[in-house]
Amino acid sequence: MDFLAEAFRRAWGLLVAGDSEVYGIALLTLKVAVVATVISCVVGLPLGYFLATRRFWGRRAALTVVNTALAFPTVVVGLLLYGLLSRRGPLGGLGWLYTWQAIVIGDVLLALPIAAALSAAAIQGVDPRIRRTAETLGAGSWRTAWTVAREARFALAAVITAAFGQVVAEIGAAMIVGGNIRGSTRTLTTAVALYTSQGDFGLALALGLVLLLLALVVNIALQMLQGRGSG
Amino acid sequence: MVLDLEHFAVPRTGILAVVGHNGAGKSTLLRLLALLEAPTEGQVLWNGAVVPRRTPAALRRRVTLVEQRPILFRGTVRDNLVYGLEVRGIGRTAVNGIIGDVVDRLGLQTLLGRRRHELSDGEVQRVAVARALALRPDVLLLDEPASSADRAAAGALYRALVAERMARPLAVCIASHQLEDAYRWADDIRALAEGRLSPVTPENLFRVDLPAGDGVKNARVGNVDIVVLTDRTGPAVLAIPPTDIFVSRERLPSSARNVLTGRVRGMAIERFGAGVHVRADVGGVELVAAITAEAARDLALAPGGAVVFSFKATAVRVF
Repeated sequence: MDFLAEAFRRAWGLLVAGDSEVYGIALLTLKVAVVATVISCVVGLPLGYFLATRRFWGRRAALTVVNTALAFPTVVVGLLLYGLLSRRGPLGGLGWLYTWQAIVIGDVLLALPIAAALSAAAIQGVDPRIRRTAETLGAGSWRTAWTVAREARFALAAVITAAFGQVVAEIGAAMIVGGNIRGSTRTLTTAVALYTSQGDFGLALALGLVLLLLALVVNIALQMLQGRGSG
Repeated sequence: MVLDLEHFAVPRTGILAVVGHNGAGKSTLLRLLALLEAPTEGQVLWNGAVVPRRTPAALRRRVTLVEQRPILFRGTVRDNLVYGLEVRGIGRTAVNGIIGDVVDRLGLQTLLGRRRHELSDGEVQRVAVARALALRPDVLLLDEPASSADRAAAGALYRALVAERMARPLAVCIASHQLEDAYRWADDIRALAEGRLSPVTPENLFRVDLPAGDGVKNARVGNVDIVVLTDRTGPAVLAIPPTDIFVSRERLPSSARNVLTGRVRGMAIERFGAGVHVRADVGGVELVAAITAEAARDLALAPGGAVVFSFKATAVRVF
Protein backbone atom coordinates (compact mmCIF):
# COMPACT_ATOMS: atom_id res chain seq x y z
CA MET A 1 0.00 0.00 0.00
CA ASP A 2 2.90 2.39 0.76
CA PHE A 3 4.15 1.95 -2.77
CA LEU A 4 0.83 3.04 -4.27
CA ALA A 5 0.30 5.88 -1.81
CA GLU A 6 3.81 7.20 -2.52
CA ALA A 7 3.21 6.94 -6.28
CA PHE A 8 -0.05 8.85 -6.01
CA ARG A 9 1.63 11.59 -4.01
CA ARG A 10 4.37 11.95 -6.62
CA ALA A 11 1.85 11.93 -9.46
CA TRP A 12 -0.32 14.56 -7.79
CA GLY A 13 2.74 16.72 -7.16
CA LEU A 14 3.81 16.55 -10.80
CA LEU A 15 0.35 17.43 -12.08
CA VAL A 16 -0.21 20.33 -9.73
CA ALA A 17 3.23 21.77 -10.33
CA GLY A 18 2.65 21.72 -14.10
CA ASP A 19 5.67 19.52 -14.67
CA SER A 20 7.01 20.32 -18.14
CA GLU A 21 7.74 16.68 -18.94
CA VAL A 22 4.19 15.57 -18.23
CA TYR A 23 2.50 18.46 -19.97
CA GLY A 24 4.91 18.37 -22.87
CA ILE A 25 4.01 14.74 -23.49
CA ALA A 26 0.30 15.55 -23.12
CA LEU A 27 0.53 18.37 -25.65
CA LEU A 28 2.38 16.23 -28.16
CA THR A 29 -0.26 13.55 -27.77
CA LEU A 30 -3.01 16.11 -28.35
CA LYS A 31 -1.26 17.51 -31.39
CA VAL A 32 -0.87 14.08 -32.97
CA ALA A 33 -4.42 13.08 -32.07
CA VAL A 34 -6.02 16.24 -33.43
CA VAL A 35 -4.13 16.11 -36.72
CA ALA A 36 -4.86 12.40 -37.18
CA THR A 37 -8.55 12.89 -36.33
CA VAL A 38 -8.91 15.78 -38.73
CA ILE A 39 -7.27 13.90 -41.62
CA SER A 40 -9.13 10.66 -41.02
CA CYS A 41 -12.48 12.47 -40.74
CA VAL A 42 -11.97 14.72 -43.73
CA VAL A 43 -11.37 11.57 -45.77
CA GLY A 44 -13.53 9.15 -43.82
CA LEU A 45 -16.81 11.03 -43.44
CA PRO A 46 -17.34 11.72 -47.15
CA LEU A 47 -16.21 8.16 -47.84
CA GLY A 48 -18.83 6.91 -45.42
CA TYR A 49 -21.50 9.04 -47.10
CA PHE A 50 -20.49 7.67 -50.46
CA LEU A 51 -20.61 4.08 -49.22
CA ALA A 52 -24.00 4.66 -47.65
CA THR A 53 -25.73 6.35 -50.55
CA ARG A 54 -24.24 5.38 -53.88
CA ARG A 55 -25.04 2.08 -55.51
CA PHE A 56 -21.92 0.85 -57.22
CA TRP A 57 -20.51 -2.51 -58.15
CA GLY A 58 -18.44 -3.79 -55.24
CA ARG A 59 -20.24 -1.71 -52.66
CA ARG A 60 -20.89 -4.64 -50.38
CA ALA A 61 -17.27 -5.72 -50.62
CA ALA A 62 -16.08 -2.20 -49.82
CA LEU A 63 -18.32 -2.02 -46.75
CA THR A 64 -17.06 -5.40 -45.59
CA VAL A 65 -13.43 -4.35 -46.01
CA VAL A 66 -14.01 -1.16 -44.03
CA ASN A 67 -15.83 -2.99 -41.27
CA THR A 68 -13.12 -5.64 -41.08
CA ALA A 69 -10.43 -2.96 -40.88
CA LEU A 70 -12.12 -1.84 -37.66
CA ALA A 71 -10.76 -4.97 -36.05
CA PHE A 72 -7.10 -4.44 -36.98
CA PRO A 73 -4.86 -4.60 -33.91
CA THR A 74 -2.99 -1.33 -33.51
CA VAL A 75 0.37 -3.04 -33.21
CA VAL A 76 -0.15 -4.79 -36.54
CA VAL A 77 -0.89 -1.46 -38.23
CA GLY A 78 2.31 -0.15 -36.66
CA LEU A 79 4.20 -3.17 -37.87
CA LEU A 80 3.01 -2.84 -41.47
CA LEU A 81 3.69 0.89 -41.49
CA TYR A 82 7.17 0.26 -40.12
CA GLY A 83 7.79 -2.07 -43.01
CA LEU A 84 6.86 0.70 -45.44
CA LEU A 85 8.72 3.52 -43.75
CA SER A 86 11.95 1.83 -42.65
CA ARG A 87 15.09 2.66 -44.60
CA ARG A 88 15.01 -0.69 -46.33
CA GLY A 89 11.32 -0.29 -47.14
CA PRO A 90 9.66 1.26 -50.24
CA LEU A 91 8.99 4.63 -48.57
CA GLY A 92 12.24 4.68 -46.59
CA GLY A 93 13.59 7.55 -48.64
CA LEU A 94 11.06 9.89 -47.06
CA GLY A 95 12.76 9.55 -43.72
CA TRP A 96 9.52 9.60 -41.80
CA LEU A 97 10.24 6.74 -39.45
CA TYR A 98 10.49 7.74 -35.79
CA THR A 99 8.85 11.10 -36.35
CA TRP A 100 5.51 12.38 -35.03
CA GLN A 101 4.30 12.43 -38.64
CA ALA A 102 4.73 8.65 -38.76
CA ILE A 103 2.52 8.33 -35.70
CA VAL A 104 -0.07 10.51 -37.39
CA ILE A 105 -0.03 8.25 -40.45
CA GLY A 106 -0.46 5.19 -38.27
CA ASP A 107 -3.29 6.81 -36.36
CA VAL A 108 -5.01 7.87 -39.56
CA LEU A 109 -4.88 4.26 -40.76
CA LEU A 110 -6.50 3.22 -37.50
CA ALA A 111 -9.12 5.95 -37.38
CA LEU A 112 -10.12 5.91 -41.05
CA PRO A 113 -12.15 2.68 -40.82
CA ILE A 114 -13.91 4.08 -37.78
CA ALA A 115 -14.73 7.32 -39.56
CA ALA A 116 -15.91 5.57 -42.72
CA ALA A 117 -17.83 2.63 -41.24
CA LEU A 118 -19.56 4.56 -38.47
CA SER A 119 -20.45 7.54 -40.63
CA ALA A 120 -21.87 5.15 -43.26
CA ALA A 121 -24.05 3.68 -40.52
CA ALA A 122 -25.06 7.13 -39.35
CA ILE A 123 -26.05 8.21 -42.86
CA GLN A 124 -27.96 5.02 -43.43
CA GLY A 125 -29.87 5.80 -40.27
CA VAL A 126 -31.27 8.98 -41.75
CA ASP A 127 -34.85 8.73 -43.03
CA PRO A 128 -34.65 8.09 -46.80
CA ARG A 129 -37.40 10.63 -47.34
CA ILE A 130 -34.94 13.39 -46.41
CA ARG A 131 -32.84 12.71 -49.49
CA ARG A 132 -35.88 12.46 -51.80
CA THR A 133 -37.31 15.66 -50.35
CA ALA A 134 -34.05 17.56 -50.78
CA GLU A 135 -33.85 16.37 -54.38
CA THR A 136 -37.41 17.24 -55.24
CA LEU A 137 -36.95 20.70 -53.78
CA GLY A 138 -34.15 21.19 -56.28
CA ALA A 139 -30.98 20.48 -54.31
CA GLY A 140 -27.99 19.22 -56.28
CA SER A 141 -25.85 16.33 -55.02
CA TRP A 142 -23.60 18.44 -52.77
CA ARG A 143 -26.46 20.32 -51.18
CA THR A 144 -28.40 17.09 -50.70
CA ALA A 145 -25.39 15.48 -49.02
CA TRP A 146 -25.08 18.48 -46.70
CA THR A 147 -28.77 18.31 -45.83
CA VAL A 148 -28.59 14.59 -45.06
CA ALA A 149 -25.45 15.10 -42.99
CA ARG A 150 -27.18 17.86 -41.02
CA GLU A 151 -29.92 15.44 -40.12
CA ALA A 152 -27.28 13.05 -38.78
CA ARG A 153 -25.11 15.74 -37.24
CA PHE A 154 -25.10 14.34 -33.71
CA ALA A 155 -24.31 10.86 -34.91
CA LEU A 156 -21.51 12.27 -37.07
CA ALA A 157 -20.14 14.31 -34.17
CA ALA A 158 -20.11 11.05 -32.22
CA VAL A 159 -18.10 9.45 -35.06
CA ILE A 160 -15.48 12.20 -34.86
CA THR A 161 -15.32 11.84 -31.11
CA ALA A 162 -14.92 8.07 -31.40
CA ALA A 163 -12.08 8.50 -33.90
CA PHE A 164 -10.36 10.91 -31.53
CA GLY A 165 -10.82 8.53 -28.64
CA GLN A 166 -9.20 5.73 -30.61
CA VAL A 167 -6.08 7.65 -31.60
CA VAL A 168 -5.48 9.29 -28.25
CA ALA A 169 -5.47 5.99 -26.41
CA GLU A 170 -3.62 3.67 -28.77
CA ILE A 171 -0.08 2.48 -28.14
CA GLY A 172 0.71 -0.16 -30.75
CA ALA A 173 1.29 2.07 -33.77
CA ALA A 174 2.78 4.96 -31.77
CA MET A 175 5.34 2.67 -30.16
CA ILE A 176 6.53 0.92 -33.30
CA VAL A 177 6.73 3.74 -35.82
CA GLY A 178 7.32 6.52 -33.28
CA GLY A 179 10.13 4.94 -31.35
CA ASN A 180 9.16 6.67 -28.09
CA ILE A 181 11.85 9.35 -28.46
CA ARG A 182 11.84 11.88 -25.63
CA GLY A 183 10.58 15.26 -26.75
CA SER A 184 9.51 14.23 -30.24
CA THR A 185 7.59 10.96 -30.36
CA ARG A 186 6.89 10.16 -26.73
CA THR A 187 3.11 10.13 -26.36
CA LEU A 188 1.08 9.59 -23.21
CA THR A 189 0.62 5.89 -23.97
CA THR A 190 4.20 5.10 -24.91
CA ALA A 191 5.50 7.16 -21.98
CA VAL A 192 3.33 5.24 -19.50
CA ALA A 193 4.71 1.96 -20.84
CA LEU A 194 8.30 3.23 -20.63
CA TYR A 195 8.22 4.77 -17.17
CA THR A 196 6.41 1.83 -15.66
CA SER A 197 9.05 -0.54 -17.00
CA GLN A 198 11.78 1.80 -15.72
CA GLY A 199 10.29 1.83 -12.26
CA ASP A 200 9.17 5.47 -12.09
CA PHE A 201 5.64 4.51 -11.20
CA GLY A 202 4.70 7.96 -9.92
CA LEU A 203 5.50 9.60 -13.25
CA ALA A 204 3.73 6.83 -15.14
CA LEU A 205 0.72 7.33 -12.89
CA ALA A 206 0.64 11.07 -13.54
CA LEU A 207 0.66 10.46 -17.27
CA GLY A 208 -1.89 7.72 -16.88
CA LEU A 209 -4.24 10.06 -15.01
CA VAL A 210 -4.03 12.64 -17.79
CA LEU A 211 -4.79 9.93 -20.29
CA LEU A 212 -7.67 8.72 -18.17
CA LEU A 213 -9.06 12.23 -17.97
CA LEU A 214 -8.90 12.56 -21.76
CA ALA A 215 -10.62 9.22 -22.20
CA LEU A 216 -13.38 10.19 -19.76
CA VAL A 217 -13.97 13.53 -21.47
CA VAL A 218 -14.27 11.71 -24.80
CA ASN A 219 -16.67 9.20 -23.33
CA ILE A 220 -18.90 11.81 -21.74
CA ALA A 221 -18.95 13.81 -24.95
CA LEU A 222 -19.95 10.66 -26.83
CA GLN A 223 -22.78 9.91 -24.42
CA MET A 224 -24.13 13.43 -24.72
CA LEU A 225 -23.93 13.46 -28.50
CA GLN A 226 -25.54 10.09 -28.90
CA GLY A 227 -28.22 11.07 -26.44
CA ARG A 228 -29.07 14.25 -28.31
CA GLY A 229 -28.92 12.45 -31.58
CA SER A 230 -31.68 10.07 -30.67
CA GLY A 231 -33.80 12.75 -29.00
CA MET B 1 -44.82 -4.95 -61.92
CA VAL B 2 -46.01 -1.82 -60.23
CA LEU B 3 -47.03 0.25 -63.24
CA ASP B 4 -47.99 -0.75 -66.72
CA LEU B 5 -48.85 2.34 -68.71
CA GLU B 6 -48.86 2.88 -72.43
CA HIS B 7 -49.27 6.59 -72.20
CA PHE B 8 -49.94 9.08 -69.45
CA ALA B 9 -49.84 12.82 -69.87
CA VAL B 10 -50.12 15.73 -67.49
CA PRO B 11 -51.49 18.76 -69.36
CA ARG B 12 -49.52 22.01 -69.35
CA THR B 13 -52.00 23.69 -67.08
CA GLY B 14 -54.87 22.47 -64.96
CA ILE B 15 -55.56 20.13 -62.10
CA LEU B 16 -55.46 16.44 -62.94
CA ALA B 17 -56.56 13.92 -60.34
CA VAL B 18 -55.37 10.34 -60.40
CA VAL B 19 -57.70 8.21 -58.37
CA GLY B 20 -57.33 4.66 -57.19
CA HIS B 21 -57.13 2.37 -54.20
CA ASN B 22 -53.99 2.12 -52.09
CA GLY B 23 -51.43 0.05 -53.90
CA ALA B 24 -52.76 0.96 -57.33
CA GLY B 25 -49.44 2.54 -58.29
CA LYS B 26 -50.25 6.22 -57.76
CA SER B 27 -47.18 7.02 -55.67
CA THR B 28 -44.87 5.34 -58.15
CA LEU B 29 -46.47 7.27 -61.00
CA LEU B 30 -45.92 10.53 -59.17
CA ARG B 31 -42.29 9.71 -58.49
CA LEU B 32 -41.74 9.02 -62.18
CA LEU B 33 -43.42 12.30 -63.09
CA ALA B 34 -41.27 14.08 -60.51
CA LEU B 35 -38.18 12.80 -62.35
CA LEU B 36 -36.98 11.20 -59.12
CA GLU B 37 -37.02 7.71 -60.57
CA ALA B 38 -36.52 6.44 -64.08
CA PRO B 39 -38.88 3.87 -65.58
CA THR B 40 -37.46 0.37 -66.08
CA GLU B 41 -38.91 0.44 -69.58
CA GLY B 42 -40.11 3.35 -71.64
CA GLN B 43 -39.48 7.05 -71.32
CA VAL B 44 -40.55 10.22 -69.64
CA LEU B 45 -41.01 13.23 -71.91
CA TRP B 46 -40.97 16.88 -70.98
CA ASN B 47 -42.60 19.08 -73.61
CA GLY B 48 -41.96 16.31 -76.10
CA ALA B 49 -38.26 15.92 -75.35
CA VAL B 50 -36.97 12.74 -73.74
CA VAL B 51 -35.72 13.24 -70.20
CA PRO B 52 -32.29 11.63 -69.73
CA ARG B 53 -31.83 9.10 -66.93
CA ARG B 54 -29.56 11.43 -65.02
CA THR B 55 -32.01 14.28 -64.94
CA PRO B 56 -30.31 17.67 -65.02
CA ALA B 57 -30.93 19.65 -61.82
CA ALA B 58 -32.32 22.59 -63.78
CA LEU B 59 -35.13 20.42 -65.10
CA ARG B 60 -35.77 18.71 -61.80
CA ARG B 61 -36.25 22.13 -60.25
CA ARG B 62 -39.29 22.74 -62.38
CA VAL B 63 -41.15 19.77 -60.95
CA THR B 64 -41.86 19.38 -57.25
CA LEU B 65 -43.41 16.45 -55.43
CA VAL B 66 -45.08 16.48 -52.04
CA GLU B 67 -45.06 12.95 -50.64
CA GLN B 68 -47.93 11.21 -48.93
CA ARG B 69 -46.26 11.35 -45.52
CA PRO B 70 -43.94 14.29 -46.04
CA ILE B 71 -40.93 14.87 -43.86
CA LEU B 72 -39.71 18.23 -42.69
CA PHE B 73 -36.05 19.05 -42.20
CA ARG B 74 -34.50 19.83 -38.84
CA GLY B 75 -35.16 23.41 -37.90
CA THR B 76 -38.24 25.60 -37.81
CA VAL B 77 -41.15 25.66 -40.20
CA ARG B 78 -39.72 28.85 -41.64
CA ASP B 79 -36.37 27.15 -42.28
CA ASN B 80 -38.24 24.51 -44.22
CA LEU B 81 -40.18 27.00 -46.30
CA VAL B 82 -36.98 28.80 -47.15
CA TYR B 83 -35.00 25.68 -48.10
CA GLY B 84 -35.85 25.40 -51.77
CA LEU B 85 -35.53 29.15 -52.25
CA GLU B 86 -32.07 29.17 -50.73
CA VAL B 87 -31.05 26.27 -52.95
CA ARG B 88 -31.99 28.44 -55.93
CA GLY B 89 -29.97 31.34 -54.59
CA ILE B 90 -32.89 33.71 -54.17
CA GLY B 91 -32.08 36.86 -52.22
CA ARG B 92 -33.29 37.64 -48.70
CA THR B 93 -35.87 40.31 -49.60
CA ALA B 94 -37.46 38.24 -52.32
CA VAL B 95 -37.53 35.23 -49.97
CA ASN B 96 -39.36 37.18 -47.28
CA GLY B 97 -41.96 38.30 -49.78
CA ILE B 98 -42.55 34.79 -51.12
CA ILE B 99 -42.72 33.26 -47.66
CA GLY B 100 -45.18 35.89 -46.48
CA ASP B 101 -47.45 35.20 -49.41
CA VAL B 102 -47.44 31.42 -49.03
CA VAL B 103 -47.91 31.64 -45.26
CA ASP B 104 -51.01 33.76 -45.74
CA ARG B 105 -52.49 31.45 -48.33
CA LEU B 106 -52.10 28.35 -46.23
CA GLY B 107 -52.66 29.88 -42.82
CA LEU B 108 -49.29 29.03 -41.32
CA GLN B 109 -48.74 32.23 -39.34
CA THR B 110 -48.83 30.57 -35.92
CA LEU B 111 -46.60 27.70 -37.00
CA LEU B 112 -43.58 29.56 -38.34
CA GLY B 113 -41.35 29.16 -35.30
CA ARG B 114 -42.26 25.58 -34.52
CA ARG B 115 -40.16 22.51 -35.13
CA ARG B 116 -41.30 19.31 -36.76
CA HIS B 117 -41.95 17.38 -33.57
CA GLU B 118 -44.28 20.15 -32.43
CA LEU B 119 -46.63 19.79 -35.40
CA SER B 120 -49.58 17.52 -36.04
CA ASP B 121 -49.67 15.36 -39.17
CA GLY B 122 -52.09 17.73 -40.84
CA GLU B 123 -49.85 20.70 -40.08
CA VAL B 124 -46.80 18.89 -41.43
CA GLN B 125 -48.69 18.22 -44.65
CA ARG B 126 -49.72 21.87 -44.98
CA VAL B 127 -46.16 23.03 -44.41
CA ALA B 128 -44.90 20.56 -47.00
CA VAL B 129 -47.39 21.86 -49.58
CA ALA B 130 -46.45 25.45 -48.73
CA ARG B 131 -42.79 24.55 -49.07
CA ALA B 132 -43.46 23.26 -52.58
CA LEU B 133 -45.75 26.14 -53.61
CA ALA B 134 -43.15 28.69 -52.54
CA LEU B 135 -40.92 27.41 -55.31
CA ARG B 136 -43.47 28.21 -58.03
CA PRO B 137 -42.71 25.04 -59.96
CA ASP B 138 -44.10 24.42 -63.44
CA VAL B 139 -45.45 21.08 -62.29
CA LEU B 140 -46.70 20.35 -58.79
CA LEU B 141 -47.35 16.75 -57.81
CA LEU B 142 -49.22 15.92 -54.64
CA ASP B 143 -49.63 12.46 -53.16
CA GLU B 144 -52.77 12.36 -51.00
CA PRO B 145 -52.44 16.01 -49.97
CA ALA B 146 -55.52 15.98 -47.78
CA SER B 147 -55.10 12.60 -46.12
CA SER B 148 -54.19 14.03 -42.73
CA ALA B 149 -56.36 17.12 -42.88
CA ASP B 150 -59.87 17.66 -41.61
CA ARG B 151 -62.46 18.75 -44.15
CA ALA B 152 -61.96 22.46 -43.54
CA ALA B 153 -58.20 22.29 -43.88
CA ALA B 154 -58.50 20.13 -46.99
CA GLY B 155 -60.79 22.71 -48.54
CA ALA B 156 -58.34 25.51 -47.76
CA LEU B 157 -55.52 23.52 -49.29
CA TYR B 158 -57.39 22.83 -52.53
CA ARG B 159 -58.56 26.43 -52.76
CA ALA B 160 -54.94 27.55 -52.49
CA LEU B 161 -54.03 25.23 -55.37
CA VAL B 162 -56.87 26.50 -57.54
CA ALA B 163 -55.88 30.10 -56.73
CA GLU B 164 -52.29 29.38 -57.71
CA ARG B 165 -53.43 27.84 -60.96
CA MET B 166 -55.58 30.86 -61.74
CA ALA B 167 -52.63 33.16 -61.08
CA ARG B 168 -50.20 31.50 -63.46
CA PRO B 169 -49.87 28.49 -65.77
CA LEU B 170 -49.41 25.54 -63.45
CA ALA B 171 -49.80 21.82 -63.96
CA VAL B 172 -51.05 20.06 -60.87
CA CYS B 173 -51.38 16.32 -60.56
CA ILE B 174 -52.98 14.96 -57.41
CA ALA B 175 -53.07 11.34 -56.41
CA SER B 176 -55.97 10.57 -54.13
CA HIS B 177 -58.29 7.81 -53.08
CA GLN B 178 -60.99 10.34 -52.23
CA LEU B 179 -63.29 10.61 -55.20
CA GLU B 180 -65.23 13.53 -53.81
CA ASP B 181 -62.18 15.76 -53.67
CA ALA B 182 -61.41 14.79 -57.25
CA TYR B 183 -64.94 15.68 -58.39
CA ARG B 184 -64.94 19.02 -56.67
CA TRP B 185 -61.50 20.34 -57.44
CA ALA B 186 -60.03 18.60 -60.46
CA ASP B 187 -60.47 19.59 -64.09
CA ASP B 188 -59.94 16.02 -65.19
CA ILE B 189 -59.81 12.61 -63.55
CA ARG B 190 -57.91 9.42 -64.39
CA ALA B 191 -58.28 6.15 -62.57
CA LEU B 192 -55.47 3.77 -61.80
CA ALA B 193 -56.07 0.18 -60.76
CA GLU B 194 -53.43 -2.53 -60.38
CA GLY B 195 -50.92 -0.30 -62.11
CA ARG B 196 -53.04 0.21 -65.19
CA LEU B 197 -55.17 3.08 -66.41
CA SER B 198 -58.84 2.38 -66.23
CA PRO B 199 -60.51 3.16 -69.56
CA VAL B 200 -63.59 4.43 -67.76
CA THR B 201 -64.28 6.90 -64.99
CA PRO B 202 -62.83 5.95 -61.65
CA GLU B 203 -65.85 5.00 -59.63
CA ASN B 204 -67.05 1.50 -59.02
CA LEU B 205 -63.74 -0.25 -59.50
CA PHE B 206 -63.42 -3.67 -57.93
CA ARG B 207 -60.76 -6.37 -57.86
CA VAL B 208 -62.29 -9.75 -58.50
CA ASP B 209 -61.38 -13.31 -59.28
CA LEU B 210 -63.30 -14.37 -62.34
CA PRO B 211 -64.40 -18.00 -62.50
CA ALA B 212 -63.51 -20.18 -65.44
CA GLY B 213 -65.66 -20.37 -68.55
CA ASP B 214 -66.88 -18.13 -71.34
CA GLY B 215 -69.80 -15.79 -71.39
CA VAL B 216 -72.07 -14.83 -68.55
CA LYS B 217 -70.62 -15.35 -65.09
CA ASN B 218 -70.88 -14.17 -61.50
CA ALA B 219 -68.08 -12.19 -59.95
CA ARG B 220 -68.05 -11.86 -56.20
CA VAL B 221 -67.62 -8.37 -54.78
CA GLY B 222 -67.98 -8.36 -51.00
CA ASN B 223 -71.34 -9.93 -50.23
CA VAL B 224 -72.71 -9.25 -53.66
CA ASP B 225 -72.57 -11.13 -56.97
CA ILE B 226 -72.10 -9.01 -60.05
CA VAL B 227 -73.23 -10.61 -63.28
CA VAL B 228 -70.75 -9.89 -66.04
CA LEU B 229 -70.25 -10.98 -69.61
CA THR B 230 -66.64 -11.87 -70.38
CA ASP B 231 -64.36 -14.65 -71.52
CA ARG B 232 -61.61 -13.68 -69.09
CA THR B 233 -60.81 -15.71 -66.03
CA GLY B 234 -58.71 -15.20 -62.96
CA PRO B 235 -57.79 -11.90 -61.30
CA ALA B 236 -59.24 -8.87 -63.03
CA VAL B 237 -60.68 -5.44 -62.35
CA LEU B 238 -64.36 -4.66 -62.89
CA ALA B 239 -65.55 -1.15 -63.63
CA ILE B 240 -69.22 -0.20 -63.66
CA PRO B 241 -69.66 3.21 -65.31
CA PRO B 242 -71.91 5.31 -63.06
CA THR B 243 -73.77 6.60 -66.09
CA ASP B 244 -74.88 3.06 -66.93
CA ILE B 245 -76.61 2.48 -63.62
CA PHE B 246 -80.38 2.97 -63.42
CA VAL B 247 -81.65 4.33 -60.16
CA SER B 248 -85.15 3.62 -58.86
CA ARG B 249 -87.04 3.52 -55.57
CA GLU B 250 -88.09 -0.08 -56.03
CA ARG B 251 -87.29 -3.13 -58.14
CA LEU B 252 -88.43 -2.75 -61.75
CA PRO B 253 -88.89 -5.62 -64.14
CA SER B 254 -86.28 -5.22 -66.86
CA SER B 255 -83.59 -7.02 -68.83
CA ALA B 256 -80.89 -5.90 -66.40
CA ARG B 257 -79.14 -8.89 -64.85
CA ASN B 258 -77.85 -6.84 -61.95
CA VAL B 259 -80.49 -5.51 -59.61
CA LEU B 260 -79.14 -4.44 -56.25
CA THR B 261 -81.09 -2.95 -53.37
CA GLY B 262 -79.59 -0.77 -50.71
CA ARG B 263 -79.59 2.59 -48.97
CA VAL B 264 -78.44 5.98 -50.15
CA ARG B 265 -75.24 7.02 -48.37
CA GLY B 266 -74.77 10.44 -49.90
CA MET B 267 -75.17 12.60 -52.93
CA ALA B 268 -72.62 14.88 -54.54
CA ILE B 269 -73.32 17.55 -57.09
CA GLU B 270 -71.07 17.45 -60.12
CA ARG B 271 -68.63 20.24 -60.80
CA PHE B 272 -70.82 22.11 -63.26
CA GLY B 273 -74.06 21.32 -61.51
CA ALA B 274 -75.93 19.33 -64.14
CA GLY B 275 -75.52 15.92 -62.62
CA VAL B 276 -75.68 14.21 -59.30
CA HIS B 277 -73.57 11.32 -58.10
CA VAL B 278 -75.57 9.04 -55.85
CA ARG B 279 -73.59 6.85 -53.50
CA ALA B 280 -75.36 3.81 -52.12
CA ASP B 281 -74.53 0.87 -49.94
CA VAL B 282 -75.82 -2.25 -51.66
CA GLY B 283 -75.19 -5.33 -49.60
CA GLY B 284 -72.01 -3.93 -48.07
CA VAL B 285 -70.59 -2.68 -51.38
CA GLU B 286 -70.52 1.01 -52.21
CA LEU B 287 -71.65 1.93 -55.73
CA VAL B 288 -71.95 5.29 -57.41
CA ALA B 289 -74.58 6.12 -60.00
CA ALA B 290 -74.68 9.30 -62.07
CA ILE B 291 -78.06 10.79 -62.88
CA THR B 292 -79.37 14.22 -63.77
CA ALA B 293 -80.24 16.64 -61.00
CA GLU B 294 -83.79 16.68 -62.26
CA ALA B 295 -84.09 12.91 -61.99
CA ALA B 296 -82.72 13.04 -58.47
CA ARG B 297 -85.42 15.54 -57.55
CA ASP B 298 -88.17 13.51 -59.20
CA LEU B 299 -87.14 10.39 -57.32
CA ALA B 300 -86.94 12.38 -54.07
CA LEU B 301 -83.71 10.63 -53.15
CA ALA B 302 -82.26 11.37 -49.74
CA PRO B 303 -79.50 9.91 -47.58
CA GLY B 304 -80.75 6.89 -45.69
CA GLY B 305 -83.55 6.23 -48.12
CA ALA B 306 -84.05 2.92 -49.88
CA VAL B 307 -82.81 2.72 -53.46
CA VAL B 308 -82.38 0.15 -56.20
CA PHE B 309 -79.45 0.19 -58.63
CA SER B 310 -79.87 -1.76 -61.85
CA PHE B 311 -77.42 -2.33 -64.68
CA LYS B 312 -76.87 -4.80 -67.49
CA ALA B 313 -74.17 -7.46 -67.46
CA THR B 314 -72.82 -5.93 -70.66
CA ALA B 315 -72.39 -2.57 -68.95
CA VAL B 316 -69.71 -3.99 -66.69
CA ARG B 317 -66.23 -3.37 -68.11
CA VAL B 318 -63.51 -5.89 -67.41
CA PHE B 319 -59.81 -5.05 -67.66
